[in-house]
Amino acid sequence: MFGRKLTRSTLFAAALALGLAAGPAAAADTIKIAVPSPFTGSAAGYGENVKAGVMLKLEEINAAGGINGKKLEAVYLDEQCEPREAATVSSSIVNDPDIVGIVGHLCSSAHLAGLPAYVREGIAAITPTATNITISSKSKDDAGKAWSFRNVYRDDFQGKFLADYTDKVLGLKKVAVFYENNDYGIGLKDAFIKEAKTLGLTIVGEEAYKKGDQDYTPQLTKIKGAAPEAMFIAGYYPEGALIADQSKKIGLNIPKMGADGFDNADYVKLGGAAVENTYLTAPFLVETAGADAKKFIDAFKAKYNRDVDWMSANAYDATGIMAEAIAKAGADRTKIRDYLAGLSSPEKGYKGVTGVNYFDANGDCLKPAYVKVVKDGKFVPAPKQMN
Amino acid sequence: MLEQQLVNGFTLGLIYALIAVGYTMVYGVIELINFAHGEIYMLGAFLTLSFISLGLPLPVAVLLAMLAAAAIGVLLDIVAYRPLREAPRLAALITAIGMSIFLQNLAMIIWGSRPLPFPKQAIPAFFNEPALTFSDVTISWMQVIIYAVAVALMVGLNLIITKTRVGTAMRALAQNQTAAALMGINVNRVITFTFALGSAMGAMAGIMVSMYYNTMYPTMGYLAGVKAFAAAVLGGIGSVPGAMLGGVVLGIAETLGAGYISSPYRDGVAYAVMILVIIFRPSGLLGRAVTDKA
Repeated sequence: MFGRKLTRSTLFAAALALGLAAGPAAAADTIKIAVPSPFTGSAAGYGENVKAGVMLKLEEINAAGGINGKKLEAVYLDEQCEPREAATVSSSIVNDPDIVGIVGHLCSSAHLAGLPAYVREGIAAITPTATNITISSKSKDDAGKAWSFRNVYRDDFQGKFLADYTDKVLGLKKVAVFYENNDYGIGLKDAFIKEAKTLGLTIVGEEAYKKGDQDYTPQLTKIKGAAPEAMFIAGYYPEGALIADQSKKIGLNIPKMGADGFDNADYVKLGGAAVENTYLTAPFLVETAGADAKKFIDAFKAKYNRDVDWMSANAYDATGIMAEAIAKAGADRTKIRDYLAGLSSPEKGYKGVTGVNYFDANGDCLKPAYVKVVKDGKFVPAPKQMN
Repeated sequence: MLEQQLVNGFTLGLIYALIAVGYTMVYGVIELINFAHGEIYMLGAFLTLSFISLGLPLPVAVLLAMLAAAAIGVLLDIVAYRPLREAPRLAALITAIGMSIFLQNLAMIIWGSRPLPFPKQAIPAFFNEPALTFSDVTISWMQVIIYAVAVALMVGLNLIITKTRVGTAMRALAQNQTAAALMGINVNRVITFTFALGSAMGAMAGIMVSMYYNTMYPTMGYLAGVKAFAAAVLGGIGSVPGAMLGGVVLGIAETLGAGYISSPYRDGVAYAVMILVIIFRPSGLLGRAVTDKA
C-alpha cells in the first residue's frame, strides 16, 4: 500500500516538474496569436478548415526562422460558433498579455459577440470568414479607430452580386429563396431580395431552415408548387448539399445559386449529381491564381490530402497579414492595429494567395468576386464572369 | 402537395418511431431517460460507413453495425448506469447527458467533424429512383425500404415483447422490479437485453437516415434524440406502441407545420403538439395512467 502511494506521488511530482520546466522556456521565445473558432459542435467542420489554413502558414513562418527569431504560436480557442461561448473566450483572450493579435472569429454571430471586448481592451482581430454587415459599424472605438478587420467581402456585396448574376448573366426571372436562419443567411437573403426587387425579378418563395436540419422536403415541396426557375440557397455547404439532393428527389431540378458558404469540395462530395448547375461566388479561383497561390494549393493538398477551400485560403492569408504586422510593428497590440489600418490601398496591401488584401476605414476589404459552377462533379470557373 | 407532405412526414415519423422505442423500452424497464440514445443512432451510421470502407457489402455492414451498436448500448449501461441503479434518478440522468457528450466527441475524434456522405457505391442505384408515382406524389424506393424495415422491426419487437420469455420478463420488470427479482428473474440480464434491442433499432434508424439524406455528422444524434424523446412522451413514455404512434404523429405534425405554417417554426410545432398532448392527456396518447410504484 505504501509502495503504491509512493510510486503515484513520485510520478505526479515528475510530471509536474516536467510541465513546469517546459512552460516558461516555451513562453519566452514565442509570440502568441489567438484563433477563436468552432472546433466542436455543429460548425466544427468549418473550424477545422480555418485551423488547416492557420497551421500551414505558421509552419511556413516558423520553418523560415519565425518572426525576428521568435516562433509564432496559435492558441486555438473553441467557441462552438456560439455567441455566448465567444464572449467568454474573448475575455480570456484580452486578459492574456502574451496574445498580441487575433485571427477569427469564424462565424459572424460569434465575432459580433467577441468584438466589444476587443474594441474596449484594444486588440486587433482579422476575421477570415465573418461576412455580416453589422460588423463594419461595430468594429470601431470611440475615437473612430477600427479594431476588427476582415479579408472577406460582406454579405450585402455577395447577395447583391448573385442577384445581378441571376438576372444579367443567367437571365432567370423567377427565383425561390431558401435561407439559414442566422446572421449569415439572413444578411445574404436580405441583400439578394433587395437587389432582385430593383431588377424586377419575382421572388416566388421565401423559406428558412436551421443549421443542422436534415429534412427539407416540406419547404421544398412548397417551393416546387410555385415553379421557380432558380433557387438561391443562403447558407453553408452541408445543408446546401442536402437541399440540392432533396430538391432533385422531388423533381425540382433547377439551377441553384450559393454564396461563399458553398465553396467547399465537400459540397460536391455530399450532394453528388444533385448539385450540378450550382453557381456560387468565391473569393478566388484556383484556375486563375498566381504562382504563389498555386504553390499554396499544392502544399495544402500534400499536407491535408484534400482540395483547398476558400476558408482555409482566407485563414492562411489572415495569418500572413497578422504575422507581417507583428514583424513590422513589433509584438505590441496597438502598433499591430495601426499597421493593419495602414494597409489601406491596393498599393500598400498585403499580397496573399487570395489576391491583394487591404482594408477601408471600417476594416472591410474590397475583393472581387468570382463565379464558379458545378459541372460534371467538379467546381469550374463559370463561363461568364461579371466584374 | 398535401399528399406529398404526408408521405414525407410519414417517412420522418417512422424514423422517429424507431429511435423512440429504444427510449421508451429503457424507461419502461428501469425508469431512466437514456439521453445518450441519440448518439447510438449516430454511431449506427458511422459504424456502417467504417464497415463498408473495410470492403464489406452493405447488408453485412448494416448487420455488423447493428450488433456493434447493441454492444455499445449494453456497455453504456454497464459502465454508466448500472453503478447508479440505487442512486437518485437525477444522478443517472446527468450521467446520461455526460455519456451523450462523450460519445459525440469520441465520434469527432474518430471520424472528424466534417459531414461525410454515405458511400454511394454501396447503395444500389435504384434506391433513389421513384418506386410509385400518383399524379404529383412520388415515393422513392428508399422510402419504401424505410417503411418496410421500420414496420418489420416493430412487428418483430412486439412479438419479442408479447410472445417470448425475455419479453415477459421485461414486462414483469416494468411492473415491479423487486417482485420480478423475487420471482427468479435475472434483472441485470433483462436490462442488458433491453439496451441491446433498443440500441440495435436506434442504429438502424441512423443507418437509414444517413442513406436517405446521404450524409452523416457527429452531432446528428442530438436533435434526432430530442425529437424521439418527444415522440416517446407523446405516445406515453414506457409504452412501445405509444412510441411508434408518437413518432409518426410527430413526424407528420412537423412536416405539415413546416410546409403550411412557417418553416422556422417546424421544431416549435413538434413541441407544441407534445405539450398539448401532455396538458390534455398527461399519460400520453397510449400510456397507462401512472400508478405510484412506491
